[in-house]
Amino acid sequence: MESISNGIEKLGAAGLVLQAILVSLLGIFLLVGFIVLRRWYRARYFRRRNERTVALRSQWDEILSGKISAEEWRFNSLDCDIVESILLDSIEMSPADKLPPLLDCLRVSGLLDMRIYEARTSRGWKQRTALLALGRTRAMEAIPALAEGLDSRLHETRIAAVRGLGRTARMEAAIPILDRIVTGQFDAPERSLKNALVNCCRTHPQVLINYVEHASGPIRELLVRVLGELASPELGEELLVLAADPLPEVRASAARALGNTNTSYSLPALHSLACDPEWFVRLRAVVALGQVENIDKIKILLRAVCDANRHVRQRAAWVLARMEPQLQQILEDVVATKDDYALQAFVSELERSGAIEKIVSGFDGSDLHSAETALMEVVTKARERVELSGKTVAAAAGAH
Amino acid sequence: MTVHFLAISNDTLFIYYVLSNIIYLGLLIIAIVKNVRHRHRLGSQRLELVKASPFTPPITLIVPAHNEERSIVGSVGALLGLEYPSLEVIVVNDGSSDATVEKLRQAYQLQAARILYIADIATAPLHAIYRSPLDSRLFVLDKEAAGCKADAINAGINAATSPYICVVDADSILERESLIRIMAGVFADPGRMVAVGGIVRVLNGSRVVNNQIEEVRLPKSAIEVMQVIEYLRAFLVGREAWAGFNMLPIISGAFGVFQRDLVMQVGGFRTHAVGEDLDLVIRMHRRLHEEHRPYHIDFIPDPTCWTEVPTDLKSLARQRARWHKGLIDTLWPNRDMLFRARYGRVGWLVLPYMWIFEFFAPIIEVVGYSTIILALILGQLSKSFFLLFLLFGYAFATLISIGAVLLEEMTFRRYSDWREVARLLVYCLFEHFPYRQLTMVWRLQGIWQYLRGDLQWGAMKRVGISTGADA
Repeated sequence: MESISNGIEKLGAAGLVLQAILVSLLGIFLLVGFIVLRRWYRARYFRRRNERTVALRSQWDEILSGKISAEEWRFNSLDCDIVESILLDSIEMSPADKLPPLLDCLRVSGLLDMRIYEARTSRGWKQRTALLALGRTRAMEAIPALAEGLDSRLHETRIAAVRGLGRTARMEAAIPILDRIVTGQFDAPERSLKNALVNCCRTHPQVLINYVEHASGPIRELLVRVLGELASPELGEELLVLAADPLPEVRASAARALGNTNTSYSLPALHSLACDPEWFVRLRAVVALGQVENIDKIKILLRAVCDANRHVRQRAAWVLARMEPQLQQILEDVVATKDDYALQAFVSELERSGAIEKIVSGFDGSDLHSAETALMEVVTKARERVELSGKTVAAAAGAH
Repeated sequence: MTVHFLAISNDTLFIYYVLSNIIYLGLLIIAIVKNVRHRHRLGSQRLELVKASPFTPPITLIVPAHNEERSIVGSVGALLGLEYPSLEVIVVNDGSSDATVEKLRQAYQLQAARILYIADIATAPLHAIYRSPLDSRLFVLDKEAAGCKADAINAGINAATSPYICVVDADSILERESLIRIMAGVFADPGRMVAVGGIVRVLNGSRVVNNQIEEVRLPKSAIEVMQVIEYLRAFLVGREAWAGFNMLPIISGAFGVFQRDLVMQVGGFRTHAVGEDLDLVIRMHRRLHEEHRPYHIDFIPDPTCWTEVPTDLKSLARQRARWHKGLIDTLWPNRDMLFRARYGRVGWLVLPYMWIFEFFAPIIEVVGYSTIILALILGQLSKSFFLLFLLFGYAFATLISIGAVLLEEMTFRRYSDWREVARLLVYCLFEHFPYRQLTMVWRLQGIWQYLRGDLQWGAMKRVGISTGADA
């Protein structure tokens, strides 16, 4: 039987293979040539860029004030690129009162208009670059062009528009995003949306409240999560309404917001949320209690440290273990709960926080000695459980 | 009969060779497109914003350590110095017989701690948990040796408190921004992104100061440079391309981020698996497909982990044999996934590829070379055609290797000195003879060892990294 290779050879396969070899060799030479050329070009480009950066930096004040006309650098692509990147970096780092001359330079030179034009008319990578640059300008007139980017068919472009709007850090930039997401039709990664909204609504979180009221399902959850990061005491009643929301994710975010506001009404609301049927709402409430400065929270936390859910227990213990002046009393209270799991969680967190030594040294007084004994008994029991079931370890070996 | 067999064998090798080259070319093209896109995306990514974001989730670094007294203190110091807002580092001492724990105890004033530890994944017993009063983010688990890295990682997973875990080898070096870079991939789609791998590069030859890469250089010996090319090809071409279609079969055990809950659900790393990293990712694919969950397992080429590779043939042979054992050890238990509709592309494309072009490669090549030589002797094959075909195979494989170097040049350019790149290109010409044939033999040894039931890891001789002092 004739093999395929021999058969193909008779049909001129040797010539075909020879051609394949030549193509491969040509490919190798082209790749190597491309690598060498690219290296040479890049070295030359960066040397030139470096030289021009030094030259433009030495004239920076004149460029900014307009003493050096924009025409002198604006139509040289390298110079234009360097000036723009210096301007955008400066805008990002400058406080509000230093912004006007930088923005004036962008406007007078036509750089801002150029980017707006690119954001509206270009496509693909160039459009995305323009959107991000526009966002960095923090200019009001950039917002409409950025908002148009939100309607792009391309996912990447929409993300760039969201990021750009977020980088303006202006409340007005949040509106186009919010208008679109409440429709439920806007598709962009949740994280990008949240970060953009946090940046834009930082000074005016109340702008979110209207939208929360009109949103439902996952959109409502997203908005309340943002609100949870930005909540201020002025939001008061709205947060209490959200704390009673039927959506557990909303209640959880409301708990976070209440922790951030840290007002007189926070504690009763968090008390209620710490008894929520959903474990992650209770968890958020316990985390938020860590931020509340009110000694009465200890009672709520002592209850939470006995929670059926181990995450809630552990987090309550985490908060309790960081209440420095009251630690010995808290330990006694935890022992009094007669809940071994609670005590394990608390001791574990005392170890993590490094407060255990202070507690143990405080046991020298005979009144509190029973607490230390109880503590050690729990640890001993836990070790026995390990030996028996191999499932749980209170890793206390060598501690005493 | 013999002639008939030779004809079939030669044809099989011919088809196999052409197919494998076409697949590699396809992977290279996909990888180039994906890399260029990724570079553009990186241009718009602001890592400082990711760091400052309140939505950045915490992450636990798990460092399994077995007899790492030489490097452990420096490695832990470097890990604690990584740029990430919410970090926990858990070193798991896996029954070291050297002074690994003692060195850590001295450096970080470790104290035994009664920290709650629930073994959701069964592991060898723990002796103790230590914490450091100098840095509250550091915990050390001292456990009995189980004879496998997977058990140590599982102990770390049990103790981890973050939603994401990252497994890092104790002798590897992560770049300062690597965590934030790899997590940026997770943030892009946290709902679906269940695991992300970063690139592992060859540390040998580079200058290291305070456990950070100070200057990237190529190693001096040929055997190490060959591995640099192999790593570039495997990561920048292979993994990049497979990940593009959500078919990534492996995330390197030296550097990868996983959703902790999912790892727990699949039962953690399989104890005594020879290739525990490959095994975990395949089981994750299996589980997620069975549950019809939308997911993505990705590879991101810019977060970098530097690792020491074998410097002598003996260690390299052991490593390659072990990798091949790991491959069989994963493919065989998951053979039911092959060509099953419920496992989608993983069952139809990536697993068959791994069986045919990874597992069977050394067998097919050895049998093929032997029969070709026999056919030549018996006059069943034209010498000129044979030589031309060999030359084509060599030239094409070299083209792919140079393509990997090109990808490195187009994207990350870690080798900044042009002489280093020139050396890489020259070694691309020699990688396919005789290095490739040697690895084929080592992989065959791996198959033989697996069939004999020898699943030992074997020790790797380390020369240590070049520090600022001795450079």
